[in-house]
Amino acid sequence: MLKLSSDVLEINLPLTEARIERFIRDYVKECGVEGAIVGMSGGIDSCTTAVLASKALGAGSPVLGVMLPEEETYNATDVQHAKTVAEKFGFPLETVDISPTLKACFNSLPIYDAKDKLCKGNLKARIRMIYLYYYANKLKRIVCGTSDKSETMMGYFTKWGDAAADISPLKDLYKTQVRQLATYLGLPKEVVTKPSTPALWPGHLAEEELGVKYEVLDLILFGLEHFMTSKEIAEQLQLPLKLVDNIKRQWLTTEHKRRQPLTLKLGYRTVGADFRLPYSLG
Amino acid sequence: MKKIDVALAQINCKAGDKEYNIDLIERNIKQASERGANLVIFPELALTGYVMRDITYELAEPIPGPSIRYLEEITGKENIHVIFGMLERSEKARAVLYNTAVLIGPKGFIGKYRKMHLPTHSVFEEKRYFRPGYQAPMFETEIGKLGLIICYDAFFPEMTRLLRLAGAKFIICISASPSLRRRFFEVLTAARAIENTVFLAYVNLVGIEDGLQFWGGSRIIAPNGDITLQAKYDAEDLVVGKVDYADLDRAEVFVPTLRDLRPELFERLKKQTETL
Repeated sequence: MLKLSSDVLEINLPLTEARIERFIRDYVKECGVEGAIVGMSGGIDSCTTAVLASKALGAGSPVLGVMLPEEETYNATDVQHAKTVAEKFGFPLETVDISPTLKACFNSLPIYDAKDKLCKGNLKARIRMIYLYYYANKLKRIVCGTSDKSETMMGYFTKWGDAAADISPLKDLYKTQVRQLATYLGLPKEVVTKPSTPALWPGHLAEEELGVKYEVLDLILFGLEHFMTSKEIAEQLQLPLKLVDNIKRQWLTTEHKRRQPLTLKLGYRTVGADFRLPYSLG
Repeated sequence: MKKIDVALAQINCKAGDKEYNIDLIERNIKQASERGANLVIFPELALTGYVMRDITYELAEPIPGPSIRYLEEITGKENIHVIFGMLERSEKARAVLYNTAVLIGPKGFIGKYRKMHLPTHSVFEEKRYFRPGYQAPMFETEIGKLGLIICYDAFFPEMTRLLRLAGAKFIICISASPSLRRRFFEVLTAARAIENTVFLAYVNLVGIEDGLQFWGGSRIIAPNGDITLQAKYDAEDLVVGKVDYADLDRAEVFVPTLRDLRPELFERLKKQTETL
């Protein structure tokens, strides 16, 4: 029987770093673009992604970190963290305040509801996506996404917002594994240990919203990944079955966020269904 | 038994929800029984829905297993035979799964058929999950000599031929066929009935799963190719019709395909297939 303990989440750090950097380097080369854009919040996922991309691409093929703060959730510490990381690892960082754009959206939306913080938060994430893709287009680069496996499996992201990217190098690493990798890469301790936040509204904390600590969530998700039943996971981790069932349900009901939009099969071969082509040819 | 009443239960099952689907199956069995059916047939993988992908592993169960035990009570109470499709897990190995058709009678579980031709092309990925079956048994029952096949098996005439040669008078093809394939199945099911002078019931799913729209259109085809009973297209339906085995005699005289079979061709067929 698979034993769920923090051991199962331990990764070979030098090998993982080497693999991810090679992946980013190869993809950028294959696409024939000039580098990568990484949207930076100052959190662990975006800082780790930017560091890996910067180490992968080196000086000639640059990485640009783009910070997109806005008034309501502005956090000087996060901004400082991003700056510290960019300076330490030697890649440029640009900061653009998206508040005017957000205000323009709020003012022009006939059904805008300031009290609906989820809709408002998702709008912020999608506006950031627009900025990142403008940078990528203009500078002939790819958008390097920063999603990790924990939030991806939970559907804990904004559809077509923060998860929108050309590649997502951390998407197969659980949050606790990203923490290991970040420490190994030499990211500042305060970036690694601070509570994770999607920053869609003031005081927004991931573990609070998910209802469970990442150390526990990752073990539950690891169990689900390995075909364990909710009952087996709950018993091993001494958790209420309901909690594990709820997490499993959230994982299964958010598949629509992880795939291309569903279409009805009408033709001979269908996009997203049975066109089975390599990601890139030639 | 010379004549039986057959119900085609063309259901829209709820993906991944066995409890809901068993309840739906139970309700259809009761209605079929009230309408005098001796046999009620459900589609392929009716217990779970068709597109289960990785959830397949957790939904499969042994046969006989809990779902069969539950339905045995219903068939006993209603004095009826039932055929339906479900995910089967081997007793010996957890990852060995089958796409299986089950036959239950008033006295309990009678037998099963594990799908032999597993489509793995286009939108189908059955070989990723299932081991193919190795035989298609003929079931001699109170309601006649039955042969079971599943969906894509209908594209392989030798399946139905072998069942017919083993004595089957009534072929039951359960299916989960998406709409683009409707014209194939409408032709092939009729062809299997005519070329073997045998009754054939085809029962398809309805509803949409992952963008696949199952077209329904379940039917009974007489040995002369007549469609004697047909359910709606693209909507749930429960239809009841007769299978009169006496009709086989007339059909066999009119087009005596079994008399005219040439066994030496089968030898060649085997050789050619091995060197394809």
